[in-house]
Amino acid sequence: MNRELVKEIILSLVIVLSQLLIFNHINLFGTVDTFIYVSLFILYKTTYDKTYLILFGFLVGLIIDLSLQTYGAHTLASITVCYLKERIEKYSFGVNSTLPLAMIRGTQLTNRVTYFFLIIFLHSLIYFSLIFFKFEFTLTIFLYTLINSIINFIIVWIISKLIFNK
Amino acid sequence: MQSIINSIVKNRNLIIYLLLTFISFNYLYNNSSIHYSGVGKIGTFISGSTSNFYSKINSYFNLKEENRKLIEENLELKKIESQFIRISDKSIISESNIDKTLNAKVILNSINKSKNIIVINKGGLNGITNEMGVISSKGVVGIIKNITDNYSSIVSLLNTDLKINAILKNSSTIGSISWNGLDPRIVQLNDIPLSSSIKVGDTIVTGGMSFYFPKGIPIGRIEDYNNTSLEGYYSIDVSIFSDFSSLSNLYILQRTDNDEIKSLLNE
Repeated sequence: MNRELVKEIILSLVIVLSQLLIFNHINLFGTVDTFIYVSLFILYKTTYDKTYLILFGFLVGLIIDLSLQTYGAHTLASITVCYLKERIEKYSFGVNSTLPLAMIRGTQLTNRVTYFFLIIFLHSLIYFSLIFFKFEFTLTIFLYTLINSIINFIIVWIISKLIFNK
Repeated sequence: MQSIINSIVKNRNLIIYLLLTFISFNYLYNNSSIHYSGVGKIGTFISGSTSNFYSKINSYFNLKEENRKLIEENLELKKIESQFIRISDKSIISESNIDKTLNAKVILNSINKSKNIIVINKGGLNGITNEMGVISSKGVVGIIKNITDNYSSIVSLLNTDLKINAILKNSSTIGSISWNGLDPRIVQLNDIPLSSSIKVGDTIVTGGMSFYFPKGIPIGRIEDYNNTSLEGYYSIDVSIFSDFSSLSNLYILQRTDNDEIKSLLNE
């Protein structure tokens, strides 16, 4: 158990560091920012305490904010996603959401896609709403959210496959 | 106490989430000018709306007080207005032999009879004598007829017995104003020969050829006229400037030379 925890901490550190060192500097087509750190919240095990997840989200979001000078936008998006994760799980997986090992493996593809996409979409929506923060930009916010969600979904999906196929 | 702790423990995720949201927002608000001004605008909107709501409620409960203040203010303005009118009236009549004007309030008034009388709250003790001219801020009203110590009655312009010397302001053609007893807004201008040129809207003022009024006090303007009379005079309807249905403040003109002129006539 402890070994697994250490492994997960190292994995988290790798993801955060790669976000800081590599993905923070990638900007596709001038509109897409890659936020692979969201995969940490997606892959956070259901058996772990939700309170730690919120605190973990806050910590990760704050680190990203400090590195990108976004002043709390990532933090707010992260803690909201972490807080609502349980509900999104229930919505996506239905009764299976309470099973400890039900996440990723052994579930329907559509359930997984819904789960991944909902978390990424919600994160992007909060993030871009806070970045633009004006009613005039409502359409822009939705456009950015949609494009970013799709690209980030693909990236996070690939990462999750890499981690769990090991 | 136990239930409170239980409730906190039960909702700890929500509490922590709200706390962290607050911290994040604070961080955002304090460091980003866009968010600072955006949140500032929301704050202004909320405080403005609530203040407006409160002020509406407050003003409703303060209506009585506001009303009292308005009445007081109105009275002050009326005082100033009446002083101004007195000054302007005096300037109109300054070249005439008007000694002074007295201010009086109407206490009784009628417009629906053929011989209308107005009663005012000033009388002999205030220096009012017979046959003084009476005007309002808009124009001629009538002539003092009877006096007691404290009250006087005025023969209104709306009295079929009264005739007042009048002229057309533009051409100085002399005529006389009287009332036919029908419409309280319209009096008749008589004795204007058909040879004079008149038009609707011409102003009629007092002619000054009487003991009552100096020259140039407004009476009314021509509303309509008829030149088909066989007697060689126009039949002219004049709408009067003074609203007789709402008279309140009147000014009584005291001429200095009346006695002198009368004594001349008596000789």
